[in-house]
Amino acid sequence: MLVHALIVARKEIRDHLRDTRSLVSSMFYALMGPLVVGMVSIAVHGEKSSAVLVSMMSVFALVATFVGGMNVAMDAIAGERERRSLLPLLMNPLLRRDVIIGKWLAISLFAVAGVIINLSGFAVVVAFPFHLLIAVTLALIPLVLFAAAVELLISTWSRNIKEAHTYLSLVIFLPMVIGMFLVFFPHMASTWLWLPVAGQQLLIDLLTKGAPVSLVSSLALSLVTAASAVLILLAAAKLLHRDEFVYGS
Amino acid sequence: MIQTRNLKKSFGAVQAVRDLSFSAPDGAITGLLGSNGAGKTTTLRMICGVLQPDNGWVRIDKPVGALLDHIGLYPRLTARENLAYFGELRGIPPIQLAQRIEQVLSQLGMDAIADRRTAGFSQGERMKTALARAILHSPQNLLLDEPTNGLDVPSVRALRGLLRQMRDSGMCIVLSSHILEEVRILCDNVAIVSAGRVVAQGSPEDLCSQTDSQSLEDAFIKLTTSQENLECLSTL
Repeated sequence: MLVHALIVARKEIRDHLRDTRSLVSSMFYALMGPLVVGMVSIAVHGEKSSAVLVSMMSVFALVATFVGGMNVAMDAIAGERERRSLLPLLMNPLLRRDVIIGKWLAISLFAVAGVIINLSGFAVVVAFPFHLLIAVTLALIPLVLFAAAVELLISTWSRNIKEAHTYLSLVIFLPMVIGMFLVFFPHMASTWLWLPVAGQQLLIDLLTKGAPVSLVSSLALSLVTAASAVLILLAAAKLLHRDEFVYGS
Repeated sequence: MIQTRNLKKSFGAVQAVRDLSFSAPDGAITGLLGSNGAGKTTTLRMICGVLQPDNGWVRIDKPVGALLDHIGLYPRLTARENLAYFGELRGIPPIQLAQRIEQVLSQLGMDAIADRRTAGFSQGERMKTALARAILHSPQNLLLDEPTNGLDVPSVRALRGLLRQMRDSGMCIVLSSHILEEVRILCDNVAIVSAGRVVAQGSPEDLCSQTDSQSLEDAFIKLTTSQENLECLSTL
C-alpha cells in the first residue's frame, strides 16, 4: 500500500531534517559548482568565457542531482542495517517494496532541494533568466528520481555505511566522466541522447545556449530516465528480500 | 499459542536449525534454552516471519510482537516518535495510537525519557524502548531473544515482573536464553535446544526428574551432551 510508503517517507524526511551537520555538508556540495564557476567567471572575460561557463554549469548541475540525497541514501538501508533497526522495521506488516518506495521518495526530495540550491546559486553567479531556471529544473527532475534510485540500490547492496559511502562517492563521478567524454567526443551526442545522465547533460547544454529543444525528445528522455529508475527500484526491493541483505552477513 | 513443526533452516553449508518442533501455550512463559549457536535466534526469526524456513511450519493464531537481538532505534527521533512510527506502520488509528503509546510508556516507567532523542540512551533505556515498540500493537504472542542482555540488576527485575504480568494476562511469551538461572526462575515451560533440535520440553522440575538431575544445569548438560561426546570426555 502506498500509505506505508508515505509513512516511511515522512519519517525519513523528519529524521534527516534534524541532521543539521549533514544538511550543511550537502549544501556546500550543491553550492560547489556555482562557487567554482563564479571564480572562473571573475578570472575569464570575453566572448569565449560564456561557452566555457555554460558547459561547466551543466556538469555541476548533474553532479548536484546526485549529491543532494546522498547522505539520506547512505542512511536509508545501509545505515538501518548497521544500527540494527532494519530487521524491526521489516517485522512490521508492510511490503519491502513500500520501504524502498518511501525511502526513494525521501531521497528524491532532498536531491531536488540540492538541485534547486545549485541552480539558484548559478542564477546569482551567471545571472540567467528565471524561465531558464525552471526549464533546467524540470529537465533534471526525472534524473533526480533516477539518481535517488541508483543511490538506494547501492545503499541496499552495501554492507555498511562505510561501504555505501565509498560507492556513492564513485557514483558522483559518473556525471563528470560523461560530461568530459561529451566534451571530447561531441559526435557521440546523437547516440547518447537517450541515455539518462548523458541525455540530460545535452539537454541542459541546449537549454542554456538558447538552442531549440525538441519537446518530444525531451519527454522521451524523461520517460526513459524515469522508467530506468523504476527498474532499479524493483532490483533494490528484490535485494531486500534476500536474508544476507537484511542481516548484513 | 505458538507451534512449530520440523523447522529447518540452512545458511550455505551451515545447518542452523535441523528439525525443530515445540509448542508454547497461552498464559505461560516458554524458554528456549540452548548454548550459543544452538539455533535459538534463527528459530525466533522464523516464528516472527522475517526468515522463511527451508522446511516445516509455524502456526501462530494471533498477532506477534518480537524483541530480537536487533534493537536499533532511530537516534534523531525521540522515544515517543520511534514508537509512533512503528504504530503508524502497524496501522493503528492516530487517537488510539497516542493513547496506547501513553499506556506503554507508563507501563515500562518511561515517562521521564519519552520525549528525549534516543541518541543518548543507556543500554537499559534502549532495551525498554525496543520492548515498548514490540508490545505497542498489543500482541497476544511475544518473542524475546535474550532480553536481559546488557541490563542492570534493577532493570532485569523490572523486566521479569513485567513479563510475569503479561503472562498472567494470558499472553504467550517465548524467550530464548543461555542463562540457566534466568530460565529457571522465569519460565513455566522449557524447550532445550541443541544443534538445531529440541531435545526435551517440559517444566524445569519435569526436566530435572526426567533426567534424574538435582538441578536444571545438570539436566541441561545431560540432555545436550550426546553419548559420543561423553565418551570423548571420559578418555581425556
